[in-house]
Amino acid sequence: MALIQTENLTKIYGNGETAVTALDRVSMKVNPGEFVAVMGPSGCGKSTLLHLLGGLDRPSGGTVTVDGTALADMKDDDLAKLRRRRIGFVFQFYNLIPVLDAAENAALPVTLDGVNPVEAKTRAIAWLEKFGLGGRLKNRPDQLSGGQQQRVAIARALVADPALILADEPTGNLDTRAADEIAALLARVSKEFGRAVVMVTHDPRIAAYAGRIIFLKDGAVVDETILERTSGDNSKILADKMRTFGE
Amino acid sequence: MNLQLMLAWRYLSGRKLRTFLTTLAIIFGVLVIFGMNIILPTMTSAMQANLQGMSGVVDYSVTLASGESFSPEIVPTVRAVDGVRAVSASLVRTVNLPAGFFGGATAPSAAITVLNLIGLDPEAARSVRAYPVSEGGRFLESADTDSAVISQSLADKLGIGVGDGFPLPSATGVVHLTVVGILPPRTHPGTEEVLVTLPQAQRMTNETGKINTIDINVETGAGETRRTEIQNTIEAAIGPNYHVGTLMSGTDMFAALQLGQAVMGLFGVLALFMGGFIIFNTFRTVVAERRRDIGMLRALGATRGTITGMILAEGLLQGILGTALGLGFGYLLGAGLLIMVGPILGKFLNITLGAPVVSPGLVVVCILLGVSVTVLAGLMPARSASRVTPLEALRPAMAETGIIRKIGAGSILGIVILILTSLALLSGNELLISPSGLLFLIGLVLVAPILIRPITFVFGKFIGWIYARRGIGELAQGNLVRQPSRTAVTVSATMLGLAVIVAAGGMVASLSVVMYDMIRKSLGSDYLFIPPSVSVWNTNVGAGPDFAERLHGVDGVGDISSFRFAGTKINDTGVSLLGIDPVMFPKVSGFYFIQGNESAYQELAGGRAMIVNPSFLTAIGAKVGDTMDLLTPGGPVPYRIVAVATDLLNIKITTAFISQADMAADFGKTEDVFLQLNLAPGADRTAVDTQIRAVAAGFPQFQLISGRAYYETIKMQFDAAFSAMYILFGLLAFPSFIAMLNTLAIGVIERTREIGMIRAVGATRGQIGAMVTAEALLLAAIGTLFGVVAGWYLGFTFISAMGAVFPLGYAFPAIGILVAVVFGLLFGVLAAIIPARQAARLNIIRALQYE
Repeated sequence: MALIQTENLTKIYGNGETAVTALDRVSMKVNPGEFVAVMGPSGCGKSTLLHLLGGLDRPSGGTVTVDGTALADMKDDDLAKLRRRRIGFVFQFYNLIPVLDAAENAALPVTLDGVNPVEAKTRAIAWLEKFGLGGRLKNRPDQLSGGQQQRVAIARALVADPALILADEPTGNLDTRAADEIAALLARVSKEFGRAVVMVTHDPRIAAYAGRIIFLKDGAVVDETILERTSGDNSKILADKMRTFGE
Repeated sequence: MNLQLMLAWRYLSGRKLRTFLTTLAIIFGVLVIFGMNIILPTMTSAMQANLQGMSGVVDYSVTLASGESFSPEIVPTVRAVDGVRAVSASLVRTVNLPAGFFGGATAPSAAITVLNLIGLDPEAARSVRAYPVSEGGRFLESADTDSAVISQSLADKLGIGVGDGFPLPSATGVVHLTVVGILPPRTHPGTEEVLVTLPQAQRMTNETGKINTIDINVETGAGETRRTEIQNTIEAAIGPNYHVGTLMSGTDMFAALQLGQAVMGLFGVLALFMGGFIIFNTFRTVVAERRRDIGMLRALGATRGTITGMILAEGLLQGILGTALGLGFGYLLGAGLLIMVGPILGKFLNITLGAPVVSPGLVVVCILLGVSVTVLAGLMPARSASRVTPLEALRPAMAETGIIRKIGAGSILGIVILILTSLALLSGNELLISPSGLLFLIGLVLVAPILIRPITFVFGKFIGWIYARRGIGELAQGNLVRQPSRTAVTVSATMLGLAVIVAAGGMVASLSVVMYDMIRKSLGSDYLFIPPSVSVWNTNVGAGPDFAERLHGVDGVGDISSFRFAGTKINDTGVSLLGIDPVMFPKVSGFYFIQGNESAYQELAGGRAMIVNPSFLTAIGAKVGDTMDLLTPGGPVPYRIVAVATDLLNIKITTAFISQADMAADFGKTEDVFLQLNLAPGADRTAVDTQIRAVAAGFPQFQLISGRAYYETIKMQFDAAFSAMYILFGLLAFPSFIAMLNTLAIGVIERTREIGMIRAVGATRGQIGAMVTAEALLLAAIGTLFGVVAGWYLGFTFISAMGAVFPLGYAFPAIGILVAVVFGLLFGVLAAIIPARQAARLNIIRALQYE
């Protein structure tokens, strides 16, 4: 069974003459353990799609089902619980709490869920150590590099053991080397730890780390590509496709 | 809650300066309430004891109805009455002295022809009033024999000091008393007193085991109703053979102190509310700054409740911290003020102060107030924080761009309130005006946001002109207009502080005008002939018309006015009836009219008319125009109330004034118990003085004093009290300063990136500093304008409210307004110093990278 399923998912902003259709009847599926990248030109609706998948926004039409649960009729608090237990988020700008250290930031979702603080920190530390941050547990965000902050964010996304990770331009604020590290880490999350990852990106090089690419243009799906495991060719293929759909 | 408290603590400690400034606001509010409330009870009870000691009066005196002495058996009965604070039994006897008893005919002591010998129990006496004996002496002790305590003025007249002796006639012959202590000079009307132990007085007067007076002081702060209740209980306890005399208690200064205490309490609460404004401002900024963090937390699964709890937790922590520090500093303030003020009061008012009075109830109230105001101030921002959507985490922050602030529900309500309160003021109806003062303030606070832009525009032109050469005037103006809500809240906090100064100034100005007027009228004549017991007229031996005639016979004497006394009853309530000459009285003395005017004197002359005082109205429940039966020796006789007025001497006693003609006809009284005399214009003061004194010597039941000197003494006391009040009010403007400082500091932090950009494009450090200072001046100007307007209105409503009880004419608080303007602008400049320096010294690169 698909982990995520959308049927004719639509999002319209504004009304009347000023209405903008950000998503136009998008139907898609993501299976458990899949790494899917969503690409498209600026304003194509890829971030909107991610927001709707994560219950951060409500659709104007259509349905979203995550891990068997339809999001449409859920109350705000229930959506919050869903986000903390079954979905992990990674944002472009790390969004770590500046006054908490790495371990405390990573433990946030389970702490919010009422898990015992010691237990929560233990789980967070386990993930941080897996990501090579064992020596940085007590550092605050302003004491970490961009790549390290993003790794903390990914650990945070995994601490509640969700089946799904949603990443919105996770490498957008990083230099090339750090961006590659993070993209590789997300691929590892999918392959080694068996979580579904849906990543929005505009960078073909980063998208090439995924297994499947969904292209959006003007709010609609215009292409889907399954990638073979040769990253060099894949980036070029994706770059060409981006140019095509960008026109 | 664990996570929320942890986050709250981390955020608070992560922004130390802001946390400090915000907490300072709460500290100050609690400090004022706590500090003032531990000073005032101490000052009040000290003043009560000391003033009563000075003026020689207590709350009540019990005497035997026949005037004879009696056994002290009833003293415990009186002491046991609920509400009685202290009792002191004494034996008081007037000792008439032959002329020149103390010395030759020309010695100063020769003028002493009568003294009051007062035998008392030293311990008990000091529980009723204070006896501030000067250095080098001591008060009486129970074991003393042939020892006395006298006043400095008597000692001067006798030419003696501590350790010296003086003779006194007694039932057992002349007794030589040794002075062991000297009290401050007697400054008020009455006979000089010689204090000895009770057994000593009993021996000297052959009244072994007897007393004739029980002085009683009631609980501090008892109002009229409570005092009447206590008096009734005392009367019931001791029975009809005894008379409970109500004497002038506490004086007007004491009443002003009680009012002052209530007002201080109100101001303390105001200060706390101002602290709440500051916290509110800070939290709003905090929520705006932390939109990303909050949005992210929501995206991670935090519920709205969690976010609200996080902000409220910050409020709670600040409230607890601020309150704790406020209590500590408040105690230090109170104790410190007492230490500072003590010597001054001791020197000028002969008052000795005790330690600060800290009641557990006060501590609890301060804690509750401090914490709850802080948490409440964070409530609205907390709710708005909870409404931040997860998407905020992903979108850039939007600055408030209200160019013309939309008129929301709050502003409309504010406009309505302002219109209604203005109409109330114009109506002249006291019932409507009284509550509208605070409503007016609320109305101003609500409309402030929509007024910010137009007022800033007007003032900004001026500021821009001052800073034209520095090129930053418009920037400063724009900063305020861009954040109209924050500016409005700061202006509101400033307004409250300054409104207090102006309103207080108005009240004090009006109060002092009335007080001085009353004192001048009641006691401002050239000479006063005072009986031993002022106000309790029936215990005095008066003088026949002969005395006044002889005074008239002295060349240079002008008008003479007198009081004649008769006791009467109206519906079983005792009334002190005083006869005046309706023609002479207004020339020499005069009433302060509350209802009616000077034409009432003519009505008095017309016969069977009376002018009553407010105590009469309260006791009898009558009004102008009513006709009441006065009980005369010949039966009830109707008298019509033609006016309500008061004078200083009878202010607390149920009194009615009738013409001396009526008094002679209906009551058969022609005895003068109190006289006032003015010299004729151009009289030779020295010559007349000698002759007047010569005449007065034949009537030793009166003490002759100069009215002018007495007036000056009383005025000095009032001046001291009023000055102290002004200083305290000035302190309350301090939160305005904190409000401005807080806003400016937040503004600099918020605009770090922007300041970095302005510096990057070429602004100098000086220009940045000037920009912040200009903003501060703008804020100060707007706040001061609001404060003056609000304060003027508030002061007016206070006066009108008091008018229901005691009319005061409105005196425009010119000084209060001037002080407020100076304070306001000064605060603006001072508040800008630190933020301006901070802004000017920002590192450009770091500022540009600031998130």
